[in-house]
Amino acid sequence: MIRKSKLWLGFLLLLLAAGLLTCWAGSRTVPVLGSRLGDYDGELNPGEFYTVVDEERRVIDRLSREVAPGDEFFAPDGRHYRVERVKGKVAEARLLGRDRDILAWEAYFEQVAVPAAVLGPDRTVAIYHTHSDESYVPTDGAASIPYRGGILKVGARFSRKLEREGVKVNHDVTPHDPHDAYAYVRSRKTATRLLQSRPLALFDVHRDGVPDPDFYRAYIRGSSVGQIRIVVGRQNPKMSANLDFAKRLMSYANRVHPGLVKGIYLGRGNYNQDLSPTALLLECGTHTLTRPEAERGVMLLAEAVPVVLGLQGSRPDLPEGERPLTERSPGVWRAVGWLALAAVVGVGGFLLLSTGSWQGAREKLRQFWSRELGLRKKKG
Amino acid sequence: MERMPVGILFLILLSLLLYLGIGHRVLDRMRLSDRAALLIIGAMVIGSLIEFPLGPKLTLNAGGALVPVAMAVYLVAGAGTREEKVRALAGALITGLVVYLLGTYLMRGLKEPAGRYDFLEPLYLFPLVAAAVAYLAGRSRRAAFVAATLGVLLGDLGHYFWVLKNRAPVTVSLGGGGVFDAVVLSGLLAVLLAELVGEARERLQGGPETEGRPEALLEQLQPPEGEERNDKKK
Repeated sequence: MIRKSKLWLGFLLLLLAAGLLTCWAGSRTVPVLGSRLGDYDGELNPGEFYTVVDEERRVIDRLSREVAPGDEFFAPDGRHYRVERVKGKVAEARLLGRDRDILAWEAYFEQVAVPAAVLGPDRTVAIYHTHSDESYVPTDGAASIPYRGGILKVGARFSRKLEREGVKVNHDVTPHDPHDAYAYVRSRKTATRLLQSRPLALFDVHRDGVPDPDFYRAYIRGSSVGQIRIVVGRQNPKMSANLDFAKRLMSYANRVHPGLVKGIYLGRGNYNQDLSPTALLLECGTHTLTRPEAERGVMLLAEAVPVVLGLQGSRPDLPEGERPLTERSPGVWRAVGWLALAAVVGVGGFLLLSTGSWQGAREKLRQFWSRELGLRKKKG
Repeated sequence: MERMPVGILFLILLSLLLYLGIGHRVLDRMRLSDRAALLIIGAMVIGSLIEFPLGPKLTLNAGGALVPVAMAVYLVAGAGTREEKVRALAGALITGLVVYLLGTYLMRGLKEPAGRYDFLEPLYLFPLVAAAVAYLAGRSRRAAFVAATLGVLLGDLGHYFWVLKNRAPVTVSLGGGGVFDAVVLSGLLAVLLAELVGEARERLQGGPETEGRPEALLEQLQPPEGEERNDKKK
């Protein structure tokens, strides 16, 4: 009898652990390894892309990477979509509503035309490039130039403009070639090194691969610029904190330069964003745009960055009624909550699994505390 | 004066505490005393700042590679049987191969956003591979740690050979991410996964298998120093 009940307990806990791991990874679908490996066909052919449509079959996005159920999009106006089904190269997304945080930020920026940045003099912004080969075909001559792609120059423009805005910048041009999944494991070393300067934000600057240049082109201040897409990895324990920062940046950048940020894409992956709550990945235009267009886009974004970073502190200079809004960082607290919950359930589940009963788990926990903290009690 | 928002500060502290705490518990489970485990964690954190040049285009980080490798060597050297040693090392070789092939051949391309790879972030896939390989090879937590750390490091070495072959202007930093490097992360996660599967399996069969096992292996089944086993079966 005991064996049987333990069997069930074991199964239940395994199920719970698997569910938690899935939640923690931020992924609603963790496909089985084998079935995915089997039909993996390398990259999409040139000109191929996924189209994301809403329930009325209106095109809401295009992506040259595989789109999976569970991926999410935040449009600049706050519309929030989640991909429900993928049929062939068309992904069907459901509108979940208008995102409250984005709307709140829009309302805030509406009232405060140019919020003053409260950045300290010594805080830096760090920039690096996981895909250091990425380039722009019309001006660079190829989509990929190993080790010294055009993207490094886009990053340099971004950093120079930030410096002119009064922000210290740590721009790292370490190449992480070749362009494969391992690149993020390699760039993780660079990102960790950059973190030693305690940057306020960590940007991994990329460009997209959608073939249509107009899809990423906007006209701002009378010239054509490459739009920017912010990418947040959802297999990342700090996802909600990163998403918070992304929403803030998108809202303010689009307030100052309407149409600059294309939206936020919440996709599979981690993109080393577990390293910092303010780590973001930026897609600066696409490979069929000219590099100067991408540079103009990222320079406009640079104008928004210090203001948005400055807004992260409390704002004593603002009227009382405004303050709570600027201190809003629900995503950060959500991330804290998830981490704490995962720790409690993880430890509890493991103790249960290894001892087989609540009593055993409690006993083991008691032993742990008494041993670690030296609070030895007589065993009953 | 800079003010770090309380939420962000709290999040950073909590995640660091959890990560290092888990790290400490994992090491603690592997025939190390509490103090030794704490020292190793400390060595990894401080070692993260130290980078040794190993030759042209190759450096080695103390916290992300040297300490984990030393730890792996210690575990292999102290393994119960010769068979277990061979299994741990073979596991590392296989993991290294699989990790390298997965990362560089199956998941590559120029597609965007953010490159094209599928199913799972490599950072989590690697420890999954290492834990699976180690578990199939020897059903051992120590083997899982050895396979994951040495395996991911071998993957890094694979990249170094790629750099040499292609005369790439790239410096390879083994374990360059220090305590946050994929090497350390994989080692810790692989042990946790092996432990989860191992504990669940033992729970299902009502305790570890002991019959017909070599004496040296049975000795290793004893709980770590200072810990009392509260469900003694035999």
